[in-house]
Amino acid sequence: MDSNKNTQANSSSFDDIDKKIQANQVLYDQLHQSLIEETISQVEDENNKKGSNKAEISFLDNFISKLSNYYSSNELFRYALWGFAAVFFATTILTIIEYPLFSGSVKDDVGDGFMFGGSEPNWVDTFFHTFWWAVVTFTTVGYGDVSPETHLGKFLTIIIMILNLGIVTMLTGAVSSVLVAARLKGDDKLDETKFHNHIIIAGWNSAVQSALRLIEANEDSASVVILINETEEEIIKRAISGFDRLDITHLSENFTQEGVLKKAFIEECGTFMIVPDESGLLPNEKPDEDKTVLTALTAKSILEDIQVVAYILDEEYISHLHRANVNEIVFPDEHIPHMLAKHVTDPGVPQLFDELITQEKQDKGIQVVSIPKGLVGLTHNKVSAYYKFKHKWLLVGYAIRKAGFSLEEQMGESGSPIIRDMIKEQLDSAGIKLSSDEHVIVEINPDDEYVVDGKHKALVLR
Amino acid sequence: MSVSAKQIQKINYFSKVPEELCSEIAKAVEEKSCSPGTILLKEGETGDTMLLVFQGQVEVSKNMMVKTSSGFTMSTKSIIRLETTDPAPSNDPITQPTVSVVKAPGFGIGEFSLVLDDAKRTSHVTAMTDVKYGVLSLEDFSKIVDKHPSIGGSVYFEVAKSAVNNLATATQDISNLTQAFFFALTK
Repeated sequence: MDSNKNTQANSSSFDDIDKKIQANQVLYDQLHQSLIEETISQVEDENNKKGSNKAEISFLDNFISKLSNYYSSNELFRYALWGFAAVFFATTILTIIEYPLFSGSVKDDVGDGFMFGGSEPNWVDTFFHTFWWAVVTFTTVGYGDVSPETHLGKFLTIIIMILNLGIVTMLTGAVSSVLVAARLKGDDKLDETKFHNHIIIAGWNSAVQSALRLIEANEDSASVVILINETEEEIIKRAISGFDRLDITHLSENFTQEGVLKKAFIEECGTFMIVPDESGLLPNEKPDEDKTVLTALTAKSILEDIQVVAYILDEEYISHLHRANVNEIVFPDEHIPHMLAKHVTDPGVPQLFDELITQEKQDKGIQVVSIPKGLVGLTHNKVSAYYKFKHKWLLVGYAIRKAGFSLEEQMGESGSPIIRDMIKEQLDSAGIKLSSDEHVIVEINPDDEYVVDGKHKALVLR
Repeated sequence: MSVSAKQIQKINYFSKVPEELCSEIAKAVEEKSCSPGTILLKEGETGDTMLLVFQGQVEVSKNMMVKTSSGFTMSTKSIIRLETTDPAPSNDPITQPTVSVVKAPGFGIGEFSLVLDDAKRTSHVTAMTDVKYGVLSLEDFSKIVDKHPSIGGSVYFEVAKSAVNNLATATQDISNLTQAFFFALTK
């Protein structure tokens, strides 16, 4: 309104202003153009670097890392490998010690068939022959087509057979124990390899499905979701049937229990969301929000660093959730008075909010995008120019991940080191972390000279 | 062997005093030496002497209530170690330092005794190596100052400087501790 008055008062100088703008336009464009070219080239350089690095990771490295992963995760594979190694080792020793014996019996056995050594058996034939004998013996099949004849050979065989008793028992035990374990764990054992930075949603109500739809629409967000609630399987199945990008697993168990949360790999999760649970409630019943607080406490006791988002209906619980160190609290009722009042005081603002919040298309509305590395350390006006000219987006502000309060930072470098160390030591032994949890704060429309560091993400209006 | 003016001048409080006046002070200083483990100053005791450490390493420690695995106990916590560089200690310290070691050509301890009549020692000082040191009493020092007022000015200036620095550090320590206290309370 102020600006209206001003322009009215200075209506005679409109032309002047226009002239000034025109004169400055060229300069402004030049200024920004060079800025943009600079920043864009920086960003592209960086992307190129990333690309070339990727190509260098060879196929072999990939294969070996996969194999070693498999080795450490699969018990059966581990035992089989060791069993095979044991047989192989025994064979090698026997081939060396009893070479003449096995070499002789190769010819008897194979007769006129193919031999690597042509007419006379060579090392390869003998080794394979011994290996055949060893496997036949190890598996207790014992064809008897080959057998040691000399005393020394028999003596060695006795030792090998006795050792074999142990190895076979171990292998049999391993196979059966793995099978039994698999059966005991049942079908609800989740495949741990894919659960990393995933989303866990504890509780079920009508908001969850809509929330999932929005998450689905944003292709940059995590795609693996675990739902934990005791709503009927049928209802959940129907609700999650329409999702393509999201990989949703349903755990039908009580989410307040630590064991259940651990089963959902909560230590690895990216976001843990707790919503008022309407599982098994009649339409007029209210969800039990004590469960929300309890679950938040349980999650934080498993691992402080878990990012917990809690959706709460009753204001009374907010303080409890703060005490439980929940990272973010969603309390919709908080917005209602503002929305109502703004219809009177600033008509248009509530409509704007509606438009922004309910925008479901991925490429519209307010979004958080990460800032290209080339722009980190620049001032706000440069970063905002980058988005404006490169993407035609309006940079509204920044979302900054920040530790709420860090004692270590607060204490600074002055003061005696001995006192600082003692504080750290004593708080540590009392199990108190020196900083409160990280959470996201928002900086809206800062000064032009505001410096954007690496912890910032851009809030843009597309 | 008596104390030389050069030895006196190495000590920070006397660094600005001209050499000829240092020899005046040196005459008043009584030279002593002690073996490792000797307690040179005891916390809480009153004293009217300042110690000038010429050679060796000493540990400054304080009695403190600390929480250990067996609950709260009163124990002596080392704060800092001071070591001379000119000359360096003649033997290795009896225990390895757990705190930082500050090195200087020579240093004075118990300097508050030069200011207050019956200053209380604020911390323990224990010899960690063989220590050669000198003792300067307030009485002797006052006599020298009466005779040569310029000594008083420069020495008391240095004492005041160190006191101000200590005060700034202490203020920061209090603020750190207060913050830590509130921080711990909210958990």
